[in-house]
Amino acid sequence: MNPTAVIADDEPLLRDALERMLAVAWPALRIVAQARNGREAIELFERHAPQVCFLDVHMPGTSGIEVAQRIGRRAHLVFVTAYHDYAVQAFDHGVLDYLVKPVQPERLADTVSRLRERIEAAQPASNTELLIQQLATKLRQPTSSSWLRWIRASVGQTVRLIAVDDIEFLRSEDKYTRVAWRDDMKQPLEALVRMTIKELASKLDPERFVQIHRSVIVNLSAVSHVTRSENETATLYLKGRSEVLPVSRHHVQLFRQM
Amino acid sequence: MKLGWRRVRFTLAVSVVFGVLLSLTSQTATFIVITRVLIVGVAVLLAFALFERWPKRLPRWLARSALQLVAIAVVIPPSAAFAYALTTTNDEPWYKDRGRVGGFARLTLTGLLFAPWIAVGALLKQRDAVMREQALELQLTRSEIERQALEAELRLLQAQIEPHFLFNTLANIQTLVDAGSPHASRVLNSLIAYLRAAVPRMHQRSTTLGQEVELARAYLEVMQMRMPDRLKFVLRTDPRAANVSCPPMTLLTLVENAVRHGIDPSEVGGCIDIDVWLRDDRCHIRVQDDGVGLRSGSHSLGTGLAALRERLQLAFAGAAQTQLLEVRPHGVCAEIEFPIQRQAQ
Repeated sequence: MNPTAVIADDEPLLRDALERMLAVAWPALRIVAQARNGREAIELFERHAPQVCFLDVHMPGTSGIEVAQRIGRRAHLVFVTAYHDYAVQAFDHGVLDYLVKPVQPERLADTVSRLRERIEAAQPASNTELLIQQLATKLRQPTSSSWLRWIRASVGQTVRLIAVDDIEFLRSEDKYTRVAWRDDMKQPLEALVRMTIKELASKLDPERFVQIHRSVIVNLSAVSHVTRSENETATLYLKGRSEVLPVSRHHVQLFRQM
Repeated sequence: MKLGWRRVRFTLAVSVVFGVLLSLTSQTATFIVITRVLIVGVAVLLAFALFERWPKRLPRWLARSALQLVAIAVVIPPSAAFAYALTTTNDEPWYKDRGRVGGFARLTLTGLLFAPWIAVGALLKQRDAVMREQALELQLTRSEIERQALEAELRLLQAQIEPHFLFNTLANIQTLVDAGSPHASRVLNSLIAYLRAAVPRMHQRSTTLGQEVELARAYLEVMQMRMPDRLKFVLRTDPRAANVSCPPMTLLTLVENAVRHGIDPSEVGGCIDIDVWLRDDRCHIRVQDDGVGLRSGSHSLGTGLAALRERLQLAFAGAAQTQLLEVRPHGVCAEIEFPIQRQAQ
């Protein structure tokens, strides 16, 4: 029985090219289907149960890695990637098969012979859950800062992205948060964010945004001055805005050091 | 305390010279006079050197150089007295002898007259050396800053051409070439146009909208080759906007964002509409897509756009506006507007 395979890549030219190259390198291999994205790849795998899957790593929606996690060891997997950067050194353990785009015939021939050996010896696929998990972790985009830089907020009927730098303070309103910010023309504006103030507090850079009250967070660069009030609380005044913000007893000590 | 050889030699030489001169006015043996002057000279040198470093901190109203000058003036009379005491071998103390007192007076006066000037000369020379050292340091710092700026530019240039983009595109082109497709040449030309334009971009401080539109077109043609089933685009530009000035990559940043964050993550893809028009004395750019839409985030959408905003604010002195709006049912509309400045052809 001839071995079967599915090719998954979001770029049609590359799918066809790989199929053509496989026809030369492994004539006995039958390509039963081509998938345009991860979701299709999973569907087609379940439908055709091929022995081999060629998976492009970067695909819209469900990525090649997620497809690999779903397929598990039920098929031999070959990852295809455009750029051999440091993250791809995860592949260099030699256990997971991979091809670099543009695919070179010699490299494809190596991969093919390895696959044929394993299939003929009825060996299980080498892509264990652990290896794929490691790969997934390595390929995750490293972000220089994990703090929010942009927030999706409603301004009237429209929804826009507001730069976190432009936000002056945030005030909770039930399950949402009202955000006071300034646009490019330095006009003071307000917008509504569909996140609780607690969620926002954990995502905003604490070096720049400080929670001064259970329901208020302020951008330190927008603060004009703070005056002490009764009951050991304080009042915060902003630059260029008439609103005053309450500083609760619990948070007053933040300003004592300043 | 710095008592380098040079200083000591200098002090000895000067003392000898003055000693010889003073001995002309005295009946005492020349070498004794020289010895006396030497003693004063050494005392002056010691005072000068001591107060150069000590005390470490001075009150604000007291300059160290003033302190040194005062010190050497103060030290001259007692050292002269000491010199005389040392070199007088009579039974009588020297200050009882008129002639000797006269000599003491002459020595002291000569010292007070000349030592400060010599000290000032030495201080000025020192200041000169310090200034030259500072100038050298400044030069070094400047070249260090230049080097860092160059490195930053280099990194920026390298970051402009994303490896994923480049190699994916080349892979696609290779398949076209292998298949003998007539499209191969056209797509390759588009890629070359894009690379040629994108690489030197950051060096220029400004470009024209006409060039930006061509750059965006080249980029979109390349991307369309890669995902023909998922990308459509329409470019509508006012021909009068061709020579309007703008910072490099203004339009391309928005278009790249639309492709990378709007169209590419979508399984069905979408269409990108680009409009450039002029109204009154302002230029408007709109890039709208019907891709996956806006998401709060910390990722690169923010960085490219944040950098673009900054460059626009810099280039147009705060008169530029940028905004990102959500589109129904899904998609993003990025709009930029800024005052019209025309670039001389």
